[in-house]
Amino acid sequence: MSLFEAEGVTKRFGGLTAVSAVDFRVEAGEIVGLIGPNGAGKTTFFNVISGFLKPDEGDVRFEGASILGHKPSDICKRGMTRTFQIVKPFAEMTVTDNVLVGAFNHRRDAGRAREKAREVLALVGLEPQADKLGSELTVGGRKRVELAKALATEPKLMLLDEVMAGLTPSEVAGMIEVLGRVRDAGVTMVIVEHVMQVIMNLSDRIYVLHHGVAISEGTPEQIIADPEVTKAYLGDSFLAEPGTAPSGEAPRP
Amino acid sequence: MSRLRVNPFYLVVLALLLGLPLVAESETVEAVMPLGLTGPALLHVFVLIFFFGFMSQAWNIVGGFAGQLSIGHAAFFGIGAYVSTVCYVQFGLSPWFGMLVAAAVTGAFGAGLGLVSFHYGLRGPFFALVTVAFAEITRLVLLHWDYVGAANGILLPFSPEPTFWQFQFRDKEPYYYIALVMMLCSIGLVAWIARSRFGYYLHAIRQDEDAAEAVGVPTKRCKIQAIALSAALAGMGGTFYAQYTQYIVPDDMVVGRVSVEILLGAVIGGAGTVMGPIVGAFILIPVGEATRVIFEGGGTGVSLSALIASDLPFGEKFLTYLDYLAAGGGGGLAIILYGVLLMAVVLGMPGGVLPWLAGLRKRFGRSADRRADRGTGGSRP
Amino acid sequence: MSDVYLQALISGLMIGGVYALVAVGLTLIFGVMDIINFAHGEFLMFGMYAAYFASVLLGVDPYMTAVLALPLFFALGWAVQATLIRPVVGKSHAIQILLTLGLSLLMQALAQYLFSADFQSLKLDYAAATMQIAGTRVGWTRVAAFAISMGLCLALWLFLQRTDTGKALRACAEEHEGSLAVGIDLRRMYKIAFGLGIACVAIAGITMTPFLYVAPVIGPKFTLVAFVIVVLGGLGNIPGAVAGALIVGVVESVGALVMPSPSLKDLAVYVLFILVLLFRPQGLFGSRGA
Repeated sequence: MSLFEAEGVTKRFGGLTAVSAVDFRVEAGEIVGLIGPNGAGKTTFFNVISGFLKPDEGDVRFEGASILGHKPSDICKRGMTRTFQIVKPFAEMTVTDNVLVGAFNHRRDAGRAREKAREVLALVGLEPQADKLGSELTVGGRKRVELAKALATEPKLMLLDEVMAGLTPSEVAGMIEVLGRVRDAGVTMVIVEHVMQVIMNLSDRIYVLHHGVAISEGTPEQIIADPEVTKAYLGDSFLAEPGTAPSGEAPRP
Repeated sequence: MSRLRVNPFYLVVLALLLGLPLVAESETVEAVMPLGLTGPALLHVFVLIFFFGFMSQAWNIVGGFAGQLSIGHAAFFGIGAYVSTVCYVQFGLSPWFGMLVAAAVTGAFGAGLGLVSFHYGLRGPFFALVTVAFAEITRLVLLHWDYVGAANGILLPFSPEPTFWQFQFRDKEPYYYIALVMMLCSIGLVAWIARSRFGYYLHAIRQDEDAAEAVGVPTKRCKIQAIALSAALAGMGGTFYAQYTQYIVPDDMVVGRVSVEILLGAVIGGAGTVMGPIVGAFILIPVGEATRVIFEGGGTGVSLSALIASDLPFGEKFLTYLDYLAAGGGGGLAIILYGVLLMAVVLGMPGGVLPWLAGLRKRFGRSADRRADRGTGGSRP
Repeated sequence: MSDVYLQALISGLMIGGVYALVAVGLTLIFGVMDIINFAHGEFLMFGMYAAYFASVLLGVDPYMTAVLALPLFFALGWAVQATLIRPVVGKSHAIQILLTLGLSLLMQALAQYLFSADFQSLKLDYAAATMQIAGTRVGWTRVAAFAISMGLCLALWLFLQRTDTGKALRACAEEHEGSLAVGIDLRRMYKIAFGLGIACVAIAGITMTPFLYVAPVIGPKFTLVAFVIVVLGGLGNIPGAVAGALIVGVVESVGALVMPSPSLKDLAVYVLFILVLLFRPQGLFGSRGA
């Protein structure tokens, strides 16, 4: 049994099929990338597998049990959390309290939840900003808070929606480092990402979505070698941007 | 931060309040207080402050912490008053127990209203409108229900030798202490909530429901719990009011003005903060009572309708009318002031007075104090 | 259909026509500015007082006042928008609700101070005159209120469809950023919308003065009724609001027959409101919604 499985997921909006019969599988301990050109249906697919949208067909299972029709908070209780592409920090709370809300997921006691929050803040490198308000943070800071909130819920599986979008190159490098630490802490992840460097560096396996269909699946090397993918996606944006080469030569801060 | 920190200022105020009835009629108080506001009259003002502090605090749980703007709390207040009074008048149940029955009934009404509203995903202005409609429905039902006295309401039977169990007292002092204890309990409850998981969850819901749901906050359940708890407290407030005034009537209790007065203290003091509603009540009630005493004196004894119908020449009519206004007109000056205060706070310090003060303190660099209000501070969205 | 029900149907349609004008004002303000005006009914109350005092003190006929009220209340709405409402445009709904709630409280208390809490009503010579509609007698003043209100609704609708300013207003309601991009002065549009909305509701009040008493406390009922209608008709939808208003008028007057007491008629309206909010928040007509 895989940790997470989506089977034949289809989602239509009116007459438009945004996601068509996609099979998707995540094993425990993996980092799985999900890429595709704009309008490929990534966001819709992501909202379906995180429980925020109900698919028209197909099933989504976490640890063998269907999560269809369950509220996101229930799914989170079971050990699966998502982040939002448009980050949603609680603007009037300090960074610590933001993370604390997540930490309450499995800890009722405020003292113990606070311990967990501190631990997570250290892991993502937010300690210096712990007392700032959510509204006072930079984009990079907000992205980290978003990640920290999700991590504090102690997920087995974390779905990350474009955590790199809008970050400077040095912030990207910092975030990659953080995600590495999260992986080492034993959290399985699904990463939806535009920034190729992240996907190539971190992913064990990659799914490519195009026009709502999963056109390819495999290791980063296999994906790069797949002519279908090159045609659909990499041909347009990836190869045209030598600055984001997959070799991992990210600019260091 | 689970440790409770109490600002020493509040402790000093509490000590003064505890001692006030002992000296309410002393010469010192007479010398200090303007307009002969001493003895029972002075205690009455404080009873009102405590009572509105309590009601505002009840509203604060759902309106402030959870950010679900209820403009219909007068309904819970009224239902609470009617439940305990009917229990007392019809079944002889002591209002002390009646208060608990009232809390249970209004809590159930609150839960029901929340269940229906939040199940269908009503948010923001639509939830507010449903609470208004609920209050209006409550008023209409009470107004036409003969069993509870319909439009005449219920006059509580006066007992010449009141006992404690009748929740009736000849003097103001017992009411004063009961109201004070109720207010203190509500502060304690909310302070505890603010530091608990429930409080953090409510705060998170107020700021972003989707984000809260994503990190495991059962938003619907929390909102329902918040309105049920809030309604239960408001119902207890209704019982107190019924016992204090000994007379309940729908058109005085379940009206929009009362709903607004209930939320006013919290909004002015700082919705979603622990002390905001109390500070708000301590600002509002004295201002309102002072306005009533100073500007709404006896009036000139002129009836406006009679003046309009009179044969006086236009100029003279107008002068008489000015006299009428100068003597307090048709009343309502205190409420005018409430309205102005509400708008001024919304425009000038949108979070309320307490968060505004905290902001000032922060700006002037005393950042060491900043941590004190953490988890309880913050301003309205 | 028995006579009483026919009577109720017709008088419901008559009052519904006036409600339409009240609701159209509210929905115009909501559509253009995305602001829910909780003080809406208080402007109606001030309109009624204006007509009352103009009549008893100066001998001005209420229908004359209705004409004068258009520029006066437009200016009042313009001024209120420019001073009080402008700072909260685009802020959270909670802030907007609290501000207009404060305004409503202020206006109610101001009316009590200035005009006393007494109920006042006009005694006009022609108030008792009736006319025959579909075999039932209907008060002449009610028919007039209906006709004036529906005429104004139509005029407003034509204004929005045909004139440049009207088209600009509709553009604001559709898309804020877009209308900014094509050079529409949003602030001016907001003032016009609020001014028009207030003029509508005040005139609606004035047309009712010949047959309805006025008191400082009458406003909230009309605010709530206007909300009911606007939600029924779909937010920001003017033809929908007119249809919703006629429905509410009929529900109310039939409710007065069905309910154990005529003064319980509002109960039917509020229950209808909650049901619509819960089951069809986008309104009964069309899908333009919240």
